[in-house]
Amino acid sequence: MKILYSQIKELVPGLKKDPKKVSEILTLIGFMRDGFDKVRYQNRNDYLLSFEIRQNRPDCLSVIGLAKEVAAYYGLKVKMPRIFPAPSYGTKKLDIKVNAKNCVKRILAVEIKNLTNKESPKWLKEFLSLYEINSINLLVDLSNYVMILTGYPSHLLDLDKINGTLCWSLNNDFKEITTLDGSKVKLKKGELIIKDNKNILALAGIVGGKIAAIDFNSKSIIAEMAVYDSFVVRKNSRDLKITTEASNRLGKDLDPRGSEFAFKLLISLIIKNCKGKIESELFDFYLDKNIIKPIKFDPRLSGLYAGVDILKSKSLKILKNLGFEVKPLKDIFFVKPPVGRTDISLTEDLIEEILRMYGYDKIPKDKIPKLEIVKNITPKNIYLAEKIRDILSYSGFDEILSCPLTKKGDNLKFNYLNWEIISTQNSVNEEYPDLRQSMAVGLVNQLNEYLKKGVRYVRIFEIGKIFGKKGNNYKEEEMLGVLMHIFSDDKSLPLFKEVIERLLRTIGFNEIYYLDSEIKPEIANPYSCWDIKIKEETVGIIYKLKPLYLKQNTYFSEINLGKIVKLLEKTYYNPAVELSSKLVVLDANVEIKNDKSIDDYLKKIRKKIKEKNIWTIEVVDRFLLKEKIRYTIRVSYKNLSDKEAKKIHLEAFGLSQRSSEAEQGFRKAQVVGSNPTAGLSK
Amino acid sequence: MLKFNYFMIYNNGKITSINKEDLVYNLKENISRVESFEQLKKLYREYFEKEGLIRKLFNEIKDLSKEEKRKIAPIVQEFQKIAIKLFEEKEIELKNTQFRKELTKGAENLGYNISKVGHLHPITQTIRALNKIFIEMGYSILDGPEIETDEYCFRRLNVPKNHPAMDMQDTIYINEPNILLRTQTSSIEARLLEKYSPPLKVVCPGRVYRNEKPNKSNHFIFHHYQGVVVAREISLKDLFGTITYLFKNIYGSNVKIRFRNKYYPEVEPGIGPDMECFNCKGRGCPICKGVGWIEMGGAGIIHPNILKMAGIDNKKWRGFAFGLGLDRWVMAKYNITDIRTLLGGNLGYKYYENENII
Repeated sequence: MKILYSQIKELVPGLKKDPKKVSEILTLIGFMRDGFDKVRYQNRNDYLLSFEIRQNRPDCLSVIGLAKEVAAYYGLKVKMPRIFPAPSYGTKKLDIKVNAKNCVKRILAVEIKNLTNKESPKWLKEFLSLYEINSINLLVDLSNYVMILTGYPSHLLDLDKINGTLCWSLNNDFKEITTLDGSKVKLKKGELIIKDNKNILALAGIVGGKIAAIDFNSKSIIAEMAVYDSFVVRKNSRDLKITTEASNRLGKDLDPRGSEFAFKLLISLIIKNCKGKIESELFDFYLDKNIIKPIKFDPRLSGLYAGVDILKSKSLKILKNLGFEVKPLKDIFFVKPPVGRTDISLTEDLIEEILRMYGYDKIPKDKIPKLEIVKNITPKNIYLAEKIRDILSYSGFDEILSCPLTKKGDNLKFNYLNWEIISTQNSVNEEYPDLRQSMAVGLVNQLNEYLKKGVRYVRIFEIGKIFGKKGNNYKEEEMLGVLMHIFSDDKSLPLFKEVIERLLRTIGFNEIYYLDSEIKPEIANPYSCWDIKIKEETVGIIYKLKPLYLKQNTYFSEINLGKIVKLLEKTYYNPAVELSSKLVVLDANVEIKNDKSIDDYLKKIRKKIKEKNIWTIEVVDRFLLKEKIRYTIRVSYKNLSDKEAKKIHLEAFGLSQRSSEAEQGFRKAQVVGSNPTAGLSK
Repeated sequence: MLKFNYFMIYNNGKITSINKEDLVYNLKENISRVESFEQLKKLYREYFEKEGLIRKLFNEIKDLSKEEKRKIAPIVQEFQKIAIKLFEEKEIELKNTQFRKELTKGAENLGYNISKVGHLHPITQTIRALNKIFIEMGYSILDGPEIETDEYCFRRLNVPKNHPAMDMQDTIYINEPNILLRTQTSSIEARLLEKYSPPLKVVCPGRVYRNEKPNKSNHFIFHHYQGVVVAREISLKDLFGTITYLFKNIYGSNVKIRFRNKYYPEVEPGIGPDMECFNCKGRGCPICKGVGWIEMGGAGIIHPNILKMAGIDNKKWRGFAFGLGLDRWVMAKYNITDIRTLLGGNLGYKYYENENII
């Protein structure tokens, strides 16, 4: 909202502060300055100040509203514009119907005849141009002038172009309206309109129609000023994609009580400048005359909310300066808000009024508060995510963030979970309507971008949410996605798996297994795709992607952090061990059928050997037979003698003491290396 | 076989004198030419073994008279002593040389490879920096669902149906009007107040969504940092002090901050914290759009309706809340000119550099 400094001075004659100070004060009390221009108005230097007006202060979308704020701050009086000549109403009853009663708060209307419409005087044209409003003709310009001055839009209709009854109703018949500027607007149904017996005359609260537009020949008019249910105006304005000065005001909670002064001012200006006579009585449709109940207010609360002492007398003065009606009774005030203040209904609203006028700058800002100690309610997944970020970044991986909305079709390539796609109804980009079902979408997109930019090292991760629907339940899961891209066709899946597994082991898991995935994403190489399992729970997936680039390999893994947290709550390993004797390392060869899992076998072995005896169990070699695979399993026993270890080893693997070493494949390891993959056959 | 005859004098086949100095000198010469243990062993044999010089001399002394023995024997013994010492010293020297050779052979270069380091996203780094400050003040960290309901995103935050404030945040809907992508992290506040009893001190960093066409300075996905405190006697002084403390930690103790009245349906009174423009120091410039101050977010005393809806007695408890937009902080700190960079594509990391971790 713009306001001339000269106008503020005209309305607040006692004001001595310069425009910069005034704009600073308005900013501090709730209206952020967003413009400060030196202008010429009526051949004098002036300043055009511009402010952001709060959503709940439509009264300040007006010159008078802002001037009142300035006056209140400085404790000055406001000199309201004079209504002269005072309107003298006729006796004719206006033919107006209000069908959409629920949408209309108040309508004031009169019929004026014998007008002389003409070009506006220079001062008026100049004034309107400051608000970027084109001068049309004197009648229309006066209507806009009053709107800017008071905040109440009005609408003038050429009476000679109206057929029959003027009616406010919800649109049921009209498919289109041609607005004042000649634009054709398609209508649906249900918009709040003004019509007569034949035509649609206006979109109520938004814009008038061309049919009954005022022109230089207009001699008789209906002047109306209405206040509507702001939601209806806002909705219509948004749905039809039309925003006007009128809809901007009427789309907020304007006080119907204030329209009376504004309407009288408008009428008096029309009569004064265009002559004419008011033929009709004042039409006043005003159903719900809300009787404003006074608010019971303890002035001590201002000080408590501020954190500083504020005298009761100071609070009283501020409220009165703002136009509130205050009746002190002992220690309590009974406060009624003034006309225009539809935002005031609670004690806290009054506290804000007092404090913003008292000045936030008077409240100390450097005292670090001494707040009580409270329970830590940070959930474990927050800590887990932070640890994972550190582990991966220390491993040389870079964190990225990607957009969770994906192109149509992407989810079909990347999804591997049993759920449906969630689509947005009004995505900003229609080509990206769906919420991602895997972190792989964003990571692969990032890979492509990096390759375009010539980045030669792509090891990236992201922690974020994936989304899916099951029936009517919308689900979101917090996931870790990791992608490694190799710029050669070297088979690097074991290397990638090491990274993922090292991560899982570092955060506290031991029993990590891999099973051929139940559902494989389309983008995965189906022969290199595994579910990651911890104990019996599937926590993620790891796969090699189908080739994206020639002679380059891409690997991806995704882990459900929510599941990880739940499992961690039931998991505790103590890796620190007091070694009382040398580790005993023994091997065993086992043959497992091709379709069986070595992990399952190892699980059984672990159970047989018992955790307390195990230092490590490793697969150190693998040899393909016809229908079986021979694995060499190396077990390191802790805190056991050779004899004890041997006994357990034989029992666990079902090996006979009497069989020869060559037959049973039973041999002692010669050297315990630190490389757990030593001897692993390719 | 070495010849030592030059160093002894014989008379009738009996040794009569020994030139010890020359013998020693000769031995030293011989030892100096030794370059290996094998050579040293060989030389040692020539002096100490059966056919060696010193053994031979001792044998020759046997046949001398007492008087002659008294003259010659000490010389031989002395020479033996010196010889042993010289051989021992040579052995040590050879061992050292061999050890040095082995070390040289086994020595490695550092090579020219530089370790690629991993990096955390600037948003993560910024959130961590803020979290650290608040954790030190005893705050917990919370997040919440990104798919939210109208109930927690608006109603419980004092934004009833049809409220003009809904226009302040254009919403991306999954299923209008009830299921949407959260437009603010205040939805976490609504859930927090419902689930936990006061006193509470929580910060909630999170991703939010608004229906806005992205450009260089605005995106439909961005990041908020929300804070909520509910306690017995909370005032604006506490809120101002908290925000000032935060800004000073991030921007230094000389940062200038002001608090102005600002409207949000979730708070009453409402606050707009501004920071003096770092570029023009309050004089006005394009970065601050001529205002001299940069808007940092919103804050205020939690609206009593919100506490009421959460079942919290607002006569006993009061709270403050603040919400800061993170992305612009991040852009300013990392010299990122386009907000879209933060969400993939153009954000790259130098392979070998990282931020200071302390």
